[in-house]
Amino acid sequence: MRKSTFNLIILLAFVINTGINAQPVYPTTGKNGMVATAHPLASSAAIEMLQGGGNAVDAAVAAAFAIGVVEPDGSGLGGGGGMVIYLNDEKQSYFINYYGRSSERATEAGFRYGHDNSTALAIEVPGTVAGLIMAHETFGTLPLKQVMEPAIRHAEEGFPVDQTLAKLILDNIEKVMGDSATGSVFLNDGFPLMEGEILVQKDLGRVLRIIAEEGSKGFYDGALAKSFVDGIRARGGVLTEKDFLSYKAEMTVPLKGTYRGYDILTANIPQSGISLIQGLNMLENFDLRASGHYSESARTLHIMAEVDKLIYADRYQYLGDPDFVDVPVAGLTSKEYALERFSSINQSKLDPPRYRDAEYGNPRVFQQKKEKILVHEMEPADGHTTHLSVIDKNGNAVALTQTLGLFFGSGQTVSGVLFNNALTNFSYNSENVNYLQNGKRCRTSITPTIILKDGNPFMVLGSPGAGRIISTMIELVVNVIDFGMDVNDANIAPRFYCQKFEDYLHVESGIKPEVRAELELMGHQVKVYEGIDLFFGGAQMISVDPLTGVFSGSADKRRGGIAIGY
Amino acid sequence: MKKIVTTSAITLVLLFAGSSLLAQKFEQPVLISSAGQSADVKLVKMLAQRQGLDATTILMAKPADLKGFKSLVIVPGFSSKGLGAAGVSQQEEYERVESLIKAANDLKIPIILMHIGGNARRKGQSDSFNQIVADNSKYMLVVRQGDEDGFFSAISKSKNIPLTLVDKIAETAEPLGNLFK
Repeated sequence: MRKSTFNLIILLAFVINTGINAQPVYPTTGKNGMVATAHPLASSAAIEMLQGGGNAVDAAVAAAFAIGVVEPDGSGLGGGGGMVIYLNDEKQSYFINYYGRSSERATEAGFRYGHDNSTALAIEVPGTVAGLIMAHETFGTLPLKQVMEPAIRHAEEGFPVDQTLAKLILDNIEKVMGDSATGSVFLNDGFPLMEGEILVQKDLGRVLRIIAEEGSKGFYDGALAKSFVDGIRARGGVLTEKDFLSYKAEMTVPLKGTYRGYDILTANIPQSGISLIQGLNMLENFDLRASGHYSESARTLHIMAEVDKLIYADRYQYLGDPDFVDVPVAGLTSKEYALERFSSINQSKLDPPRYRDAEYGNPRVFQQKKEKILVHEMEPADGHTTHLSVIDKNGNAVALTQTLGLFFGSGQTVSGVLFNNALTNFSYNSENVNYLQNGKRCRTSITPTIILKDGNPFMVLGSPGAGRIISTMIELVVNVIDFGMDVNDANIAPRFYCQKFEDYLHVESGIKPEVRAELELMGHQVKVYEGIDLFFGGAQMISVDPLTGVFSGSADKRRGGIAIGY
Repeated sequence: MKKIVTTSAITLVLLFAGSSLLAQKFEQPVLISSAGQSADVKLVKMLAQRQGLDATTILMAKPADLKGFKSLVIVPGFSSKGLGAAGVSQQEEYERVESLIKAANDLKIPIILMHIGGNARRKGQSDSFNQIVADNSKYMLVVRQGDEDGFFSAISKSKNIPLTLVDKIAETAEPLGNLFK
């Protein structure tokens, strides 16, 4: 009864907040727990766990399984991700990389970027199940069956399609229709499910039940894994049973940095926390507050855009799977290197005039003092995307981002599981550190992050948005730390995006027209997005008031999420 | 249920059509184009094929593309992904649609609006496209969810444009086919 009542409240909030007459989503506050996800039913799954005596990891794992059901375009069992965990009592932090790994036969497949993006050739070995189960087994307190129950319920009983999902089905209709098994899930009478129609995923529910019963083994070993391999190979893919059997999520430590007195714990390589740290290090050399908010100051926005451009250039040049390439982590995250890179920025005009001509730097010169970065030191020993943030009453926090690659991944559904197209994340330039090799992890933009103040959680955040994730993350952090915004204002503030491999400076229309005009005069080619746009991500944020300990949550209005506290 | 939908559709047509419905004829061949570059146009193409219409789809149709066509179906709905794929800005797309509509009007090629995306193609950046296409259409075929606030009904009433509302995308096929019989 309590669960039904609670879900009724959540669904009511869902209707109010996602209907055609959507109202603003205000930050929710609480002292016992807070969760922000891209879907109200995933948020409610997490709250169910917290109210049932679980900790932040139980809640995050429940939400992660649930979000893969109720936001099936962005993540799911067939994808991968990364999660930063902070245990407040122990003051210990962990990073679980559960992004996919290319097949042992990947290079034989002849995958062609673009041409094969929506085919079985694009599928990597999925890591979501291994990662979530690893987190639960290591840090969870509730039984796995209890943690997975909301996901199973929503898969088997169905849930109403929200506006975001309805739109994404329409936007990706060729992919959805391209595979009959995928079409059978997302089409009704041969046409896309619309907002309000009920999406039932019985086959997915069956797989979730197997995982709840057997754990990771049920997914990666045995009859289910064989059915995945058979289905993928029948569609032209090359994954093998050995690929599934040998897949392991990896538990390490987060990459660590600082920004204006705050400690940053973020996704380790080859995920993109390193770019967040580098960007923030560069911005420490500039008085953002004095220069004015980027929506009102062309100079601020120009400098932040130039920082973005340089960190993306370095990321492209240096970031790859550390099992295959030597990534200069210490150099890229050093304050000295950041100063050198920042000093190269022309603060009054775009220089060089084309973003694509931005050059990468030489972080290896700055490697010396922190050469022994904790990339491979395990703690403990064995150890297109959605984001969710969770904190519990003890201050334990989880920032978790997971993905299928592009929306609806490869578009290929096998045994109820929609598989990723993460092979699209590799470089197909044989000179690049992220070049596709067998059994390799790709570089990915995901950047789940926890920020501490004096050893206590201050912010938990992350975003989907492919290449925009890193710039969005930097904007969110400076909005709170430099410009003193609360999480809701920081989240709804207009965004921009720029990088080396772009021809435009992309901005939301909330960036003032006079600022845009001045940016044009500085040499930028500005592309405007009216209002707010999903293009710039869908951030889920939590902040903790250092004085009162009260949590505030904010789900991004660019995506139909909701923050719930209690 | 289908009978109810058809009945309500007919009712709306009778309410708003006035004499223009009787005067208006739609002939083939048909050009199908987008206003806002949403993928909805691809579904309309499929619907037209199912009805056996002599139809050609040009996502970014320009005035010169109207040559040889006797009817124009425009599918409004904004998609940043679609615009990105087409390599045009929202403003450029709007100007293209504006020029296409003007040319169609000059050539007396009647325009049919097909809005099939429901809420997903309303408000925000979609409504400027919805508005210009609706204002210039001779017939509107709309999935009811897209008219929950009466947006298309109001235009239909004020401009005396026949409007057919159906519940599902699949249900637009039959009335679309009937327009050409």
